[in-house]
Amino acid sequence: MIRTRALASISMVLLAAVLMPAATLPAENSASPAVAHGPFDPHQVWETFKIYCMDCHIGPRAPAGLNLQTLDFDNLDQHGATWEKLLIKLRNREMPPVGTPRPDAATYQDIVTAIDAERDRLAQVRPNPGRPTLHRLNRSEYANAIRDLLAIEIDVADLLPADDTGYGFDNIGDVLNVSPLLLERYLAAGRKISRLAVGDSAMHDTVQTYVIPHGLSQTDRMSEAMPLGSRGGTAVRHLFPVDGEYEISVGLQRGRYDAFMGMERERKLDLRLDDQRLKLFTIAADARAGALEYGAHEDPDAHLKIRLPVKAGTRTLVATFVKDTVMPEGILGGREAAFFEGVGSVTVAGPFNVQGPGATPSRERIFLCHPAAASEEQPCAEKILASLVHRAFRRPVGADDLPPLLALYRQGAQNGGFDAGVKLALEKILVSPEFIFRVELDAPEAAPGSVHRVSDIELASRLSFFLWSSIPDAELLQVAERGELHDPSVLEHQVRRMLADPRSQALVANFSGQWLFLRNIARIQPDPAAFPAFDENLRLAMAQETQLLVESTLREDRSIGDLLNTDYTFLNQRLAEHYGIEGVYGNEFRRIALKDQNRRGLLGQASILAVTSYPNRTAPTIRGKWVLEQLLGSPPPPPPPNVPSLKEDAGTKALTMRQRMEEHRANPSCAACHRLMDPVGFSLENFDGLGRWRDQAAPGTGPIDASGVLPDGTRFDGPAGLRNVLMSKREQFVEAFTERLLTYALGRGLEEYDRPVVRRITRDAAADGQKWSSIVLGIVRSAPFQMRRVSDGDL
Amino acid sequence: MVISRKSIPRRTFLRGAGAVLALPVLDAMTPAFAAAAAPPVRLSFIEVPNGIIMDKWTPATEGTSFALTPVLEPLAPFRDRMLVLSGLDQGQSKGLPFEVGGDHPRALTAWLTGTHCKMTSGADLRAGISVDQIAAREFGKYTQLASLEVGLETAEIVGACESAYGCAYYNTISWRNDITPLPMENRPRAIFERLFGDSGNIDPKAQLALRQEDRSILDAVTADVKKLRGKLGGPDRGKIDQYLDAVRDIERRMQLAEAQGSEHEVPHMGEPVGIPPVFSEYYRLMADLMVLAWQTDMTRVIAFQVGHEMSGRAYPEIGFGDAHHAVTHHQGDPEKIGKTIQINIFHTKLLSYYLGKLRETPDGDGSLLDHALILYGGSLSDGNLHLFTDLPLALFGNGIGGIKGGRHVRYPKGTPMANLLLTMLDKANVPHVDRIGDSTGRLELPTA
Repeated sequence: MIRTRALASISMVLLAAVLMPAATLPAENSASPAVAHGPFDPHQVWETFKIYCMDCHIGPRAPAGLNLQTLDFDNLDQHGATWEKLLIKLRNREMPPVGTPRPDAATYQDIVTAIDAERDRLAQVRPNPGRPTLHRLNRSEYANAIRDLLAIEIDVADLLPADDTGYGFDNIGDVLNVSPLLLERYLAAGRKISRLAVGDSAMHDTVQTYVIPHGLSQTDRMSEAMPLGSRGGTAVRHLFPVDGEYEISVGLQRGRYDAFMGMERERKLDLRLDDQRLKLFTIAADARAGALEYGAHEDPDAHLKIRLPVKAGTRTLVATFVKDTVMPEGILGGREAAFFEGVGSVTVAGPFNVQGPGATPSRERIFLCHPAAASEEQPCAEKILASLVHRAFRRPVGADDLPPLLALYRQGAQNGGFDAGVKLALEKILVSPEFIFRVELDAPEAAPGSVHRVSDIELASRLSFFLWSSIPDAELLQVAERGELHDPSVLEHQVRRMLADPRSQALVANFSGQWLFLRNIARIQPDPAAFPAFDENLRLAMAQETQLLVESTLREDRSIGDLLNTDYTFLNQRLAEHYGIEGVYGNEFRRIALKDQNRRGLLGQASILAVTSYPNRTAPTIRGKWVLEQLLGSPPPPPPPNVPSLKEDAGTKALTMRQRMEEHRANPSCAACHRLMDPVGFSLENFDGLGRWRDQAAPGTGPIDASGVLPDGTRFDGPAGLRNVLMSKREQFVEAFTERLLTYALGRGLEEYDRPVVRRITRDAAADGQKWSSIVLGIVRSAPFQMRRVSDGDL
Repeated sequence: MVISRKSIPRRTFLRGAGAVLALPVLDAMTPAFAAAAAPPVRLSFIEVPNGIIMDKWTPATEGTSFALTPVLEPLAPFRDRMLVLSGLDQGQSKGLPFEVGGDHPRALTAWLTGTHCKMTSGADLRAGISVDQIAAREFGKYTQLASLEVGLETAEIVGACESAYGCAYYNTISWRNDITPLPMENRPRAIFERLFGDSGNIDPKAQLALRQEDRSILDAVTADVKKLRGKLGGPDRGKIDQYLDAVRDIERRMQLAEAQGSEHEVPHMGEPVGIPPVFSEYYRLMADLMVLAWQTDMTRVIAFQVGHEMSGRAYPEIGFGDAHHAVTHHQGDPEKIGKTIQINIFHTKLLSYYLGKLRETPDGDGSLLDHALILYGGSLSDGNLHLFTDLPLALFGNGIGGIKGGRHVRYPKGTPMANLLLTMLDKANVPHVDRIGDSTGRLELPTA
């Protein structure tokens, strides 16, 4: 969203953006239905302000520091932040204050339109595209780049620390810092990854364990990857780096105090590799069930292991139980989370007795040639490294790129042969600044503060990191290197191709994961006392549902506005039961038409309702704030410092939460924001802290009152009522969405000069049904996406 | 099925609530300085979020005969080493007229820097170097890691930061310089690997070859960075300089590692698994790793952040599921006050575990605790009202620079906390530093 801090830094607004020849402006290409307006008439605006505003906003001590006399009505680029703030106040009819003479509706509209149109015109004529700071790849971008470069999947959370966020996203160049810790991790990651990708035959054996969360109920067939007639267990994708022997072992799930679960009866464990049974183990019943402590006896899972040769590659390991008729139940251990029997972990140790690197997709990708004689080695290494540099640095290979890499190749080859040489050079590529950073350069002769188009090569990376959170693929890079990417029709074709590609799933995961707070699902800690039914299956299902829902709107190129009102969702049995929807069986998700009005759209999603709750109860204010901030783009200001106590008299306890909050709103210093947030939050009170429907908050408290009144007098009731209110503010929702998506696409916070761009993209998209593609294309065609401002010194 | 994480088998490392490390016999790895006359001083700074219920923290009387309050009670075994310091303020936490909200992040950032952080959601983060990093510049001459930054909360939570302040202001207490916040590592295994490498028991020859490779890679990368730097404009250069600074730091570490040769042995212990699900186990595991880091002299400086400011973490193991930040805004509700006190006490109990571990661990002629100067406290006093005055602070460091523990000292109103930070550096023999942030001078600490 646009920060009000800009107000405090009016003096920082750019003084001179160099005039661009109109024909090169990207926005000229879009068929925008420009705001209906004649030439901007500064005099008319001035006259209106004189009538309604000048009583107060004049002189150095004018309220809110706004002295209208200091504004230049002939140049709305000057003091842009103030103009933007004015626009918001006028659009929302917040100024002049109620109770003083106010313009009529038509005058309001005219003046808003006039200012808006003039700012828009100036943004076209004198674009200020801003300047993203040198952008370090964040964790998911790094992982995706490795996947696309080397054809291996890595668990990046294991390799790199989490990134800081700013402006609500973790891909903001300004906050993606480099510390010694991080570089150390990059070096370690580079070594691990190049070893795995090349298939280092000298590799030391290591141990990797996949742990299954305690609270995951394993009473059913877990997924499509599991054999029919199986119950519980897990499937893991494991990278066997070379041909060799590996030891695979399975640990049983344990409960509190590490006692083994499910020892009351005999069980059969099926261990499979790529759907071939390796072994069927028998786990004998043990009378001492529940009392088994480690160390006292041989653990009942000690024999669940097998050592065997495995060919290099990523393979699926399955450990599951053969279905029996006994249905075990979860045990609620006091106030701790539930424990369930099942598979607790799968461990792979190895390689032992390495046979060779084997044939893997990674090696196929890397080794474009295989030298048959010593004399072929150096040319082949050159070919391999040139190809890797090309993809990894996302640009044509330069003359001085290869010599340092070949020196490393020779050093490595000397110690360990051809493959080892390639491995060492690859290690260096992976920690190079041009891999780690997205480098964009100013033209050497460009004047400070001037603006210019980014090169086609740079544009390709902007596109791929926006839509895929990854490096460009071969086609995109080729188009860019041919100098064709800036051509509007080529560009549109590429955008549509990229949106249709499965890699655009990253846009859903990373953008909506943060925009809607879905990432927090992984970390909610529902209090077992308040939510005894919560288990890991529900946690996984909630996250999955919303991911699928948002993705479906992208794949079907629906209107963004539909997100508020989808009449379908995606459920598996666990989640359907949570919602009280019948007839959905098994762990697989499927699309379900929603009959219940209250479940429609984002506001009916358990994930969102849960991440906006406290661990032990709902939090109407948090939900209200979330709706205002994330959906409508108008966050309430933070609470004033030294918030006065609500009420210290003994009566506090007897009030319902709503009554207590209403008291809150009787206090003027709280009321300003709470009368907005609270009605919104209270309308969702029928959804408990995990998004399950309820008629009363607690036994005996009577039916929930989910009605509310907005400050403008709008009355509404319950989730469906709130949804209707939001649907009536669909334009605002789409504008807020565009703001968020533009922030994410640019990797920087938006400034006052981006505001007209957001409005234009939103307007253009409205003419095209507010579809995903129309907003994405609007962003891609915009000046800030296609251009950059030359640094003007240290600012 | 989604798998949460990969790790070494839990068997080899952790069992039960005690979370005891399978420690190697440490005689074999007692570092070189053990033979030297005086073991070095270690420094650590520990912050707990969201304030403390002050009337259950601050002793009623000053001097030596004060009665321990409920929050301090778990520290009774360390009473003779403890100085409870009252009356210190962090004036830089206070908001300026144009700043909206942001009490928590300002206070947290000011805590060890004594500076007023710039209100920004991300662009141009700015604060100041923190005291641990000043110490790290000096102590880092002798250890492979100049400092260790440890946290118990991930930075991955979305929407936890007030919009006007970037998350870096919530997620760290450590600043390498005025523009580089240092991430707090919250993954035990990553800390283990950082200390002892990830390659297990590799023979010395192979290790030497690896080091040579690393050296060559860093040399090549340095050349790249310098070339690139020349082509970049103003703000981008700052990022590249961070990168270059990091390269130099790693080179320094490698040189030290080579110089110290085989005296540092990799401990023969299993690597930690992922993050233990129960908070107290998680805390203890991190405490064990911090003890190990000092014991092996891999570093002498630690910044430890127990939780993020405004953390919504709940502590079900102490009997309720309320989010921490939410109960601290108790607004006079006795039930919430009671819960906040319980959290405060829970935290000092865990601190007591860490101090106990340090006391059990031999170091030269005494224990690690004998040679450590540890500051514990919060960047807010009253979490309900967001006060930055009269902060909760306790210093453990009996004998360091002549400090005499076992007292409650009250300083004149308005004394900057940065004066304490400056004094700590003196006591730890860091060469004279003129000031830290808004410090106005040295603090007088009771001495024997």
